[in-house]
Amino acid sequence: MAQIEQSDKGKKKKGAQKKMPIHVDFTPMVDMNMLLITFFMLCTTMLKSQTLKIVLPTNEKVQKENKQQASSDKAITLLLDTERDDNGNPKVDADGKMKNIIYYYMGQPELDAAGNPVPGQLQTEAFLGNENNVPRGIRQILYDRNKNVLAEIAKLKEQWRNKEFSQDKDENQRLYDEAAAKVRNQEDLNWPIVMIKATPQASWESVISALDEMSISEISHYQLENLNHVDSLMLNLKPQN
Amino acid sequence: MGKVKIKRKSTLIDMTAMSDVTVLLLTFFMLTSTFLQKEPVIVETPSSVQEQKVPTSNVTNILVSPTGEVFISVAGEADPDASAIYAKEQNPDISDRDYLAEKGKWASDSIRRDIVKQVLQDYAEAKGISPASLGLTDADIAQFAKIGNFGMPIEDIKKFLALSQVEQDQTFTKFAAMTPEQKAAWNANRNNVRVGIPMPEAGKGLNEFQLWMRAIKKVAQRDYPKFDEAMKKGEGIAVKADKRTPFATIHPVLDNLQTIRMNKFTLMTALKSQDQ
Repeated sequence: MAQIEQSDKGKKKKGAQKKMPIHVDFTPMVDMNMLLITFFMLCTTMLKSQTLKIVLPTNEKVQKENKQQASSDKAITLLLDTERDDNGNPKVDADGKMKNIIYYYMGQPELDAAGNPVPGQLQTEAFLGNENNVPRGIRQILYDRNKNVLAEIAKLKEQWRNKEFSQDKDENQRLYDEAAAKVRNQEDLNWPIVMIKATPQASWESVISALDEMSISEISHYQLENLNHVDSLMLNLKPQN
Repeated sequence: MGKVKIKRKSTLIDMTAMSDVTVLLLTFFMLTSTFLQKEPVIVETPSSVQEQKVPTSNVTNILVSPTGEVFISVAGEADPDASAIYAKEQNPDISDRDYLAEKGKWASDSIRRDIVKQVLQDYAEAKGISPASLGLTDADIAQFAKIGNFGMPIEDIKKFLALSQVEQDQTFTKFAAMTPEQKAAWNANRNNVRVGIPMPEAGKGLNEFQLWMRAIKKVAQRDYPKFDEAMKKGEGIAVKADKRTPFATIHPVLDNLQTIRMNKFTLMTALKSQDQ
């Protein structure tokens, strides 16, 4: 392939120069190409980062809504925490996963006469993935609490898959999104309102995981909030495991 | 008995086919590659199941280092034709000359230059001094606009630009390798090029981080409709931090964004499945 043959169709003249096959050696070319490929492979990002959209309430609004929502029996409060060693580095388990802990309570915290929280209200959970499509950990709690919405969404998803909204792919998606948003806000479905509060030592991963759980469990009413006094007192009470 | 004559074959291997394949591969990698951005600190983002991709154009990235220094990078429109196409949409009768003049107006350099100008003006106004007294010429601003990821007090920009390209990079890499105590000592010395955009908790008026973010918003609203649209949807701002970083370190960034009413933004994550 790499040689160019020069045939002289049998007419051999005396004194004519002997023609050698021209042979081009491509080995250095391949070497160079491989080097370049290696360079491009190392310098590229094939996996692009994903994003998680978040809307924080404006600072003024927080206090007003706080009062409204905390009074509701729909509320679940998640207190995020991460175990850290003396140097402030997060502790990891055998798999190298960070030890993120979620303390949670439903509704309003129970207070005693002095205004201190009653011990033993906080329950402990962890961020665990699904196992055989069965939710575990905090996801199971949220799934359970939001099962009405999830059931409705599952129906819509089935319709979406069968393209029942519209035959057009984009239109189908748009109508599905619209319908799903409606379901998430439908009053009679008894959806929870989740308050996510991170302790100062909670890892960024735990915050992202908590926000992620919200979208996995189709919860559209949630807020990222600051710890208040009662929450800190409750955390000090060393919840039972 | 006839002898079996073994024909001597040349051991030359024909590399042409191999070369063809490598060139193909090379072309593929060259066309699909987006280069890793040079970042002042390397962070490992946490993972989520979200599948929405991070935009590469019209986005402001806020990078928070594990010790809380803040860096900002702004990317404009990658396609130089975008602004011209937009102008044509707005005015279908646009002349060819105007159309060509519109090209490349939304490039990263141009938007960054506008932002820097705006922030210097706002900063000087807040301090009650004239922008000229900051000592930054138009050439300095143009040079600063070429820097992808920056993070230093506005006061130190002049000093930073005086460094060579290599020294500029080294400032960040050296800083990233320091212990928290060394970092504090470095940033306490006003003679150094301090690292991280200052974000003091309380104080009069807006802090520098807020000034930068507000300048970005202002400039986008004024001249960059596509960027503004992205910001309004919340896709225009992406916060990136290491998964081990304590919430207390990142909270000020979120809080500051909230204070200036930029409460819609995205958080950068890596992808994982629901089973993880």
